[in-house]
Amino acid sequence: MSVRLADRELPTDPREIARAMRRRVEATPRPLRIWYTVLLVLCAVGAVGAVLCLPPGWEVLGTRPTFEWGILISAYVFFAITTSGLCLASSLGTVFGIEMFIPLEKRHAILALLCLVTAFGVIALDLQYPVRMVLGAVLSPSPLSPMWWMGVFYGAYLVFLIVEVTSMFTGRWQIHRVACVLSSITAIIAPTTLGAVFGVLSSRPYWHGAFTPPAMMAAALLSGVALLGIVFACVHRFRLAGFERVGALAIPAIRLLLTIILAVTVLVVGWDTAWGLYGDVPGLSDATAAILVGPLALPFWIVRVFLGLVVPLVLLALPRTRTPAGLFAASCLVFVGVFADRAIFVSAGQVAPATAVAGVLPAPFATYVPSLVEISVVVGALAFLALVYTIAELHLPMGEHQGHLAGAFLGSGTPVTAAGVAAGTAAGPATSPAAGAEEPAAGGRSAPLADIGGGVL
Amino acid sequence: MSESDTTGASEPRSPHVTLSRRRVLQLGLAAVPAICGARLAAGVLATSDDAVRAAEPAAAVEPAAADATYDPSAHDWAFVMDTTTCIGCGRCVEACKLENHVPADPELNRTWVELHVLAKDWTVTVSSPAGGEGGVPAQATVPAVPEAAVRNAYFVPRTCMQCENPPCTWVCPVSATYRTPDGVVLVDEKRCIGCGYCVVACPYGARYMVPAGETTPKGVAGVVDKCTFCYHRITRGMLPACAEVCPVNARIFGDRNDPNSAVSIAIDQKRVRAMKPALGTRPRVFYTGLEGEVD
Repeated sequence: MSVRLADRELPTDPREIARAMRRRVEATPRPLRIWYTVLLVLCAVGAVGAVLCLPPGWEVLGTRPTFEWGILISAYVFFAITTSGLCLASSLGTVFGIEMFIPLEKRHAILALLCLVTAFGVIALDLQYPVRMVLGAVLSPSPLSPMWWMGVFYGAYLVFLIVEVTSMFTGRWQIHRVACVLSSITAIIAPTTLGAVFGVLSSRPYWHGAFTPPAMMAAALLSGVALLGIVFACVHRFRLAGFERVGALAIPAIRLLLTIILAVTVLVVGWDTAWGLYGDVPGLSDATAAILVGPLALPFWIVRVFLGLVVPLVLLALPRTRTPAGLFAASCLVFVGVFADRAIFVSAGQVAPATAVAGVLPAPFATYVPSLVEISVVVGALAFLALVYTIAELHLPMGEHQGHLAGAFLGSGTPVTAAGVAAGTAAGPATSPAAGAEEPAAGGRSAPLADIGGGVL
Repeated sequence: MSESDTTGASEPRSPHVTLSRRRVLQLGLAAVPAICGARLAAGVLATSDDAVRAAEPAAAVEPAAADATYDPSAHDWAFVMDTTTCIGCGRCVEACKLENHVPADPELNRTWVELHVLAKDWTVTVSSPAGGEGGVPAQATVPAVPEAAVRNAYFVPRTCMQCENPPCTWVCPVSATYRTPDGVVLVDEKRCIGCGYCVVACPYGARYMVPAGETTPKGVAGVVDKCTFCYHRITRGMLPACAEVCPVNARIFGDRNDPNSAVSIAIDQKRVRAMKPALGTRPRVFYTGLEGEVD
């Protein structure tokens, strides 16, 4: 007995399922099996942490009134801005028709959707009453609250992304293109609103100010492009679907973007730090001191500045490391650097409160040590993202559709031509877009994929 | 060069919505006033929300208020904290903890007492060992300043300022925290989602999340808690617990609508000031005898 799903016969008998799974596992290449195993173990660790976080589970968090927002908030911010950065980066191709960014389309959309789901999952675990939040936001809205607007925009963004992804894989291009524009617009508004959640708080001088939302946007672009760099370097390395186009177009495009945004981020970090050094504003100068020479100095100087900014810039600048492997290394470092950056940002606003909190005057700085449960949730969230994306990468037709290759939604309409793609794969004979045809690599998978993961799925 | 020249005739084009750059810019420009309008509407909605709550009977906004004859709109509650008389005994802290089911943890308080030491160079050193519970110990009177350098030292009772323009109410994403018509900021524990936004938004550090194993006086866990001016008492004609036990009457509580109340007289006759006036929160807790930059 079996069921038919997506042109595949799937067994329903438990023994048959077990046998089929075993065959799949045996057919999976060893490196991929190890990769899956590691991710599954980390996901399981995260799942245990998540269960412990479920209400009533606030005793497992390491937060205190003096340090109310911990690593789960940092992780939420990180995933939430990453999803926006992904969309913004790809919108250069999907919305504005810039040729070299067009190949980012499918992968960005899936990654953005996964990052957003992960962000929602993490924040739900940090909240004591997540269901109340959904109901309360609808039944008793608070339009003065930036957090309420953040929920509105990220909720809308989720809807647009779902439409974008489903329409992309079902060939509904008219809907898809509208969804692309809407998601790109929302991807700009949402992270700035997230920045406003912090920026409006006059009680926290380090966060307070109009500078915070654009700084959040810069961090969003950086993390989104870094994640694209990691994924596309892997696509190139493992010769996954459309790797020729990736090598010819996507990787140079990501390298260019990453370099520009890194340069902008250097300015942002530099001025942000200098800002705090002027005057003696309570809560601001103390927080800056905590970052430069206090409890946040190690993550700031080592992870944020050296590993997250200096080394990637060197890797991107040196001719010897201007390779896909160099981009991969730079992207990984930037990705970690942005996470550290957001964690430092969230911490710095609380590390030197300008008043006693619930009767406690932390001196010289408020302290917070994330609990093992919080750390496991963050690790599990990252593993979940990697696992589901790996499955999607190997399962779904990732080749660019001619509808994407035609590009030019708001832009010139210039499609990618044979001259633009060294390997020529993407500009091969096109079939009718309405038929949902993929590029010549059948089903969006290139032949070498079978060596990596084709046998798994 | 035309678009068709660059695209080439052989490339098939997928069906798509024709949306020019100009059109997108128009949409973007149209969105700006729409968003601004929404923000303005938000202000109107928030005001109307307050109005709705103002129209509710006291029992609806605070179930613990048992006195059915209590009219919230007829009162205007306020505190004057007299730092010239406070002796730092901490009885107010203990009374508050007993009255309001505040956790025994010394790091969680609805009200606390700080020791402010003003040095001759006008710097202020603030400390609050155990929130002042059990009395501020003698060795803490000058924690970091040599005795010869002390210009003045005094105790400062702290609590929620019940701001007239409270940051905590407008940041709450689900309207769980609100002002009553008589000027007290309360939390609807059945709406609170436990996000902690109000905790970080409060400039006076007057809020905390109820920790594991503890509940609010109404038995709700995992939500935010704060001083309510003992709303369940003042709506029955009693004083807040902290004011009632103060042996030196350093916590002067009353109704500003009554010109003969102790608090009205204190505000009229003493030199009072609010904390952090620059933030525009308009606190309803006033202080006498503060010196230097002690906010």
